[in-house]
Amino acid sequence: MKYLDLAMNAAERLGAEYADIRVQKTTDEVIYLQNLSLKNTSNEVLYGYGIRFFRDGAWGFAHSNVFSDEAVLKTVSRASEIAALSASVNKDKKLRLAPERSYIAKYETPVKIDPRDVPMKEKVELMLEVNRTMLAFEGVKRAMFYLVMHRDEKFFGSTLGTRLELNTQWITPMITATAVYEGDSQSRSFNEGGKATGWEWIESLNLTEKAKQIAEEALIKVKAEPLGPEARRTLILDPVHLGLTMHESVGHATELDRVLGWEADYAGISFATPEKLKNYRYGSEIVNFVGDNTLNEGLATLGFDDDGVPGQKWHIIKDGILNEYGSTRDTAMEIGLEYSRGCNRATYYSDQPINRIPNLYLLPGTRELSPAELIADTEDGIYIQGQGSFSIDQHRVNFQFGGDFFWEIKNGKLFRPVKKVIYKSCNPEFWNSCDAICDERYWRPFGVINCGKGQPSQSARMTHGAATARFRNIRVGGSQ
Amino acid sequence: MNKQFEQIEKYIRSHCQADDYSLSISASDNHQTRFAQNGITQHIAGPRLDITLEVAFGQRTGSCSVNQDDEATLAYLVKTAEDIARLNRPDPEYLPSTGAQTLPDVNNSDPSTRELEPAEMVEIVQQAIDKAKAYGATVSGMTEKHVYEYCLFTKNGFAGSDSLTQFGHSMTLKKENVETKVSHEAKDFASFSLEQEFGRLLSQAESLLTMKDFDACKIPVILRPGAIGELLLYMGWMMNRRQSDEGFTPYTGQLGQPFFGEKFSLRSTLKEPRLYARPFDHEGIVSREISWVENGILQNMPTNRHWAKEKNAQPQMLFNYFVPGGEASEEEMMKLVPRGLIINRFWYIRTVDAKAGEFTGMTRDGVLYFEDGKVKNAVNNLRFNEIPHDATRRILALGKQELPFLYAYIPTMLIDNFNFVDKTTF
Repeated sequence: MKYLDLAMNAAERLGAEYADIRVQKTTDEVIYLQNLSLKNTSNEVLYGYGIRFFRDGAWGFAHSNVFSDEAVLKTVSRASEIAALSASVNKDKKLRLAPERSYIAKYETPVKIDPRDVPMKEKVELMLEVNRTMLAFEGVKRAMFYLVMHRDEKFFGSTLGTRLELNTQWITPMITATAVYEGDSQSRSFNEGGKATGWEWIESLNLTEKAKQIAEEALIKVKAEPLGPEARRTLILDPVHLGLTMHESVGHATELDRVLGWEADYAGISFATPEKLKNYRYGSEIVNFVGDNTLNEGLATLGFDDDGVPGQKWHIIKDGILNEYGSTRDTAMEIGLEYSRGCNRATYYSDQPINRIPNLYLLPGTRELSPAELIADTEDGIYIQGQGSFSIDQHRVNFQFGGDFFWEIKNGKLFRPVKKVIYKSCNPEFWNSCDAICDERYWRPFGVINCGKGQPSQSARMTHGAATARFRNIRVGGSQ
Repeated sequence: MNKQFEQIEKYIRSHCQADDYSLSISASDNHQTRFAQNGITQHIAGPRLDITLEVAFGQRTGSCSVNQDDEATLAYLVKTAEDIARLNRPDPEYLPSTGAQTLPDVNNSDPSTRELEPAEMVEIVQQAIDKAKAYGATVSGMTEKHVYEYCLFTKNGFAGSDSLTQFGHSMTLKKENVETKVSHEAKDFASFSLEQEFGRLLSQAESLLTMKDFDACKIPVILRPGAIGELLLYMGWMMNRRQSDEGFTPYTGQLGQPFFGEKFSLRSTLKEPRLYARPFDHEGIVSREISWVENGILQNMPTNRHWAKEKNAQPQMLFNYFVPGGEASEEEMMKLVPRGLIINRFWYIRTVDAKAGEFTGMTRDGVLYFEDGKVKNAVNNLRFNEIPHDATRRILALGKQELPFLYAYIPTMLIDNFNFVDKTTF
């Protein structure tokens, strides 16, 4: 990729203390089927490059979709001019970059069957079969199947001498059945999010069987009784559900840019401030959260981040104590860290990378425990599967979640399905109420494909994971 | 018409072999200066281009999007869209593209925004930071400028284009435990005054200095336009004719009924010059004056072309939010109820129960408690679980309209018994 050297040489001539170029081609193949009607069968390609220019403690970022020597040089020049404008404001507030070495490397998502090699007709036939299966259930009025196959081809070069070739991809299938009954309407989904893998995952899922299950459960749900008034109850949460809970209440709270107030105007800040590091009890002693951008099939497993920092694995919460943040080269130095954890990611070539949540998961329990044993050990509670409503305050303290499918537990047994269930809690009460986590046999990932943050808004991906876990004394109740 | 767009359209017209096609093109030039804690953290500039071609062979459809307009990329665009369509299954809901239409005359573009230079934008940021420092506070926000042009062409003869300019400036001020925000969004940069915006920010900050703990309860609220605008966005998103006819929303069977409070009306309009009014949508549905809710009666719902055909109705879209206001000031509203809260903004609104039309969310950037007609103190942020269409039945008074977002011209509202269910720690 000749433009890497051209751009970096030009940046050095213009006085960059640091600069990088990211040439990125993003391809999304999307098929969306609703009630046997193909609402979207599309292929989108976004191709261009973004250039970051750092000087005098400030960034400039310019992007272009025109590939020529002249256009690349013009874009470097524009990034340089913008950096100079930024620096004129940052005289008392100079940013610094954590030290990093150079790398010459390639990374590619391991894939057995490339989704591009699967004929579209085969994909659509599978989706139609799944749609038909759901619509065959009387009372199911809407059947949806959303399939996305995403690929990023990146060349990255920096003035440190780093040259990277990164080819990554992921895939996500989501199916939903919506049932209507006696004036109510309820949905049930199969949604494990995305995985950095190939079509072999889709083949392994037996989606037609899954479709039967979710159609049946949509009907059970719409006919179920509402839970009723709020009360303090025990909650058992499945891994897919916990993926969203940890994303909002741990993942975003431990992004260092939020901690520093860099998202104060938009996505919000964090209660988990630096003086709490190594001493703040975020969760009970069995709660361990790991950031891991080397996780197999993880959506943030990209080889390197958009600072040119390699994927790493570290404890964010250790034995319940806030241990460390997800950081970038420009945020790390603000709290005196001389290294970045490699969490700087951009969505498209035209986005300036920002501090994102890494692959982040809850470690499984250390003693043998299955979800069935956990339910048997619970006298009175609510078992929540899947994801529903979610909302959290801008400091990441108070939150309210719903779910996708609910059972009331009585005397250690699934007693009856219920609907219209929400729970309210806050940090650190929620994670401190965790008293049991199933063992590693029951650990499951959930890949977030649409984490919105930043201005201009960017949509990032990362994988979470957990084994089914129990939380005591949580406010659980019906919605209005 | 933009020359670049004409050339792309000419290429597609001469190379696309499909029975039908719809071509949309959007181009923009953008400059975004993001600042936080009294320094610039991100600074972005560059053009964007999006070319989307949807084609059909009979009822078999395919779509492709690219962001480059060289001949090789356009050839890829046509081939990919056509290949997808040829391999696809027929879509039972397919409709041929729309034909030629008479488009309304709109003006969404302003020269003062087009001509705004990056150096001027950075100067605004510098002045905002200087003012925050003088107040002993930090400020975070974004100054942004966008110039958009877009068009839609179809094989059946639709041809339309428009341009939009957008200037935005937001500021969140933080001093000790006080956090509050103002934002300005307009087509024209000329209407922006940093003095005025910062004055509003300081006024809000000063009102929040005395903070007291407050428990969630049902209580009257004065919702400022920023808060109302966010709620309306979610309510409007659910107000969909097909979704409602099929039983998925609270609006099922409510057309023509007094489903909202009689003090509430909602329209989309081309006549308010400050509001962004796109002349047509991605299907080629032409914007027109439309009343969605009039004095509480649900009169219309957004309907796409397919569902309009099924129901023998007119296709229509909710292209902006115009809610008629009244004359009540906040001071007058405070005297109408014994006590209540003034809400600046909401945050993180999400559906709790789609069929019921119930949403949850948090207050943000300042909540004031009033009693006996006067503001007493600030209170902590609160969580609500509320049904917006039901809340309109509890409107007690309406204030003058404001423009909190480019798509919404709406008044402050006094609403009784707003349902707060939880509180947070700040």
